[in-house]
Amino acid sequence: MIEHIELFFKSIFIDNMVFAVFLGMCSYLAVSKKVATAVGLGAAVIFVLAITVPLNWLLDQYLLQPGALKWLGAEYADYDLSFLSFIMFIATIATMVQLVEIVVEKFSPSLYNSLGIFLPLIAVNCAILGGSLFMQAREIETLGLALNYGVSSGIGWFLAILAIAAIREKIRYSNVPAPLRGLGITFIITGLMGIGFLSFGGMLTGGDEEEAPKEGEPTSQVETIETETETVVELANNTKIIE
Amino acid sequence: MGLKNNLHNLKEKYKGTKMAPAFNAIHTFLYLPNETTHNGTHIKVADDLKRTMNTVIMALVPCLIFGIFNAGYQHHAAINAAKGIATEVSLMGNFLTWDNFVIGAWTVLPLVIVSYVVGLAVEFVFAVIKGHEVEEGYLVTGMLVPLIVPIDTPLWMLAVAVIFGVVIGKEVFGGTGMNILNPALTIRAFLFFAYPTWMSGDKVWVHGAKAMEGQPDAISGETILGSLAQNQTVAYDWTDMFFGFIPGSVGETSALLILLGGLFLIFSKIGSWRIMLSSVLGAVVMGLIFNGVVDAGWISESSKFYGLMSTDFWMHLLIGGFAFGTVYMATDPVTASQTNKGKWIYGFLIGFISIMIRVFNPAYPEGVMLAILLMNVFAPTIDHYVVQGNVKRRMKRLKLKTA
Repeated sequence: MIEHIELFFKSIFIDNMVFAVFLGMCSYLAVSKKVATAVGLGAAVIFVLAITVPLNWLLDQYLLQPGALKWLGAEYADYDLSFLSFIMFIATIATMVQLVEIVVEKFSPSLYNSLGIFLPLIAVNCAILGGSLFMQAREIETLGLALNYGVSSGIGWFLAILAIAAIREKIRYSNVPAPLRGLGITFIITGLMGIGFLSFGGMLTGGDEEEAPKEGEPTSQVETIETETETVVELANNTKIIE
Repeated sequence: MGLKNNLHNLKEKYKGTKMAPAFNAIHTFLYLPNETTHNGTHIKVADDLKRTMNTVIMALVPCLIFGIFNAGYQHHAAINAAKGIATEVSLMGNFLTWDNFVIGAWTVLPLVIVSYVVGLAVEFVFAVIKGHEVEEGYLVTGMLVPLIVPIDTPLWMLAVAVIFGVVIGKEVFGGTGMNILNPALTIRAFLFFAYPTWMSGDKVWVHGAKAMEGQPDAISGETILGSLAQNQTVAYDWTDMFFGFIPGSVGETSALLILLGGLFLIFSKIGSWRIMLSSVLGAVVMGLIFNGVVDAGWISESSKFYGLMSTDFWMHLLIGGFAFGTVYMATDPVTASQTNKGKWIYGFLIGFISIMIRVFNPAYPEGVMLAILLMNVFAPTIDHYVVQGNVKRRMKRLKLKTA
């Protein structure tokens, strides 16, 4: 139970899809002009995430992970289909978005019209694919937690687009310098909102048990960059030798 | 009236040129303008923007003076503590002394001057470029900024932060009254995230501690929140906290003077009592929840959160910047919620979240700044739903009448 609550608040506030990892920016920037539309899109994103993340969790557990095919028989136990995750995840997401589109068109034509092209574009909203991929990368353990993760990261995205839509409605009559009008000021607001959301960064770390130090992540990134540059240098050397 | 006439002549001379707003601003700042309305007036009020700003500054001046004396006092107390002598505060004996005042004035006044000069320079430049009058919006921000930074903040750092805060935080939105986040807090947050070593720890709260670091007679002073976050015991009792003889940012320490300033703001109807009251309520509720958790025994003394969680709920109101933030920054009329119902929600969440951040977030011992910034982000959302709720209720009433 406690890990459910922790995951819920963590994915809404601390690992917020927009302000912590900057995913799903295109629809976040484009559909945030009015609060009503933003609420519609936010609800659609919550819905799609809530369905696709558990579905993809099942796919990942029983099809894609290394050794996931054990249930077929012992001879399949060492199969690793994880190279298929992208295409499988995207297929699930596209199907679900089609479903949402049909449902919205049937029950709320006005919302369908105001969302316009951005409703089918949820299929390529990086927050949705990001949700599934984070689910895979963080090795979320149970189906329940996966559902929780989908719903709560959707709520985080919903809160972000709701807040920026309200701010944009508020500043509609502000005398913003001409070059910054429109997207420019929206980017600046997003950055300032990110500062506001920093209040949760690093929260819930510590407590009774010491957590593993986080210093490992940046150094490993640096290392990969270094190895990449090395290979590039090698490639460059190779071409020179061929010449 | 020599200066006034000279300024008036200058104003006439530069009328219509690009530099006009700059001269107009100096003239309006110092004197009442000569121009009066030619037709009959419709609304007569005295509280224009200039007077509003001046009222807040008047409420801030006691905190500033106290901060100056406290800077000197903490300096001497820390030096004594390094020698192993405990300092007992006595108001006339070792607090309100000329020596303390000189040390404090030498450290605090440069902060004030840099904040005003840099900030007003940015305002003037923008007014001249954009061709509108200089707005008085920076007057309060410029006074708040030196009061919420640690005493030894380097002046160039402050200048960079002020430029960032005024340009990105305010001018890109169209100037005074249009900003989303409180500019003073934007400046503080910029300093906090850009130069963390200068904004937290036990070396920045006492004048001279950073310069003497590593020397045999090094001094240090930890804020109460800082020591609580590390589960250390606190050497100050509640009267010290209430009157403010504790280390901390320049103006935030004295809860008594902030309380007086808050009452003054409420009395003059500049600050919203709804926000102040609900914010205190929110903090008390969260403090009681945490006290309840400790009493129920759900959390052991070895936990990192124990020190702050077991702090009595009323103590949370006295320590750190909570009182200062609630009275002077949460009530900023531009960035707070505009509707009355919204103000209750906004204030309550500020109190609630700031105590939560204090306890749960070991990275930030002080949560008020970030709680207010976060609620500034959500204030338009709260307003939107309050207004929509009103619209819906009235529509219902209208339907009942027509039906």
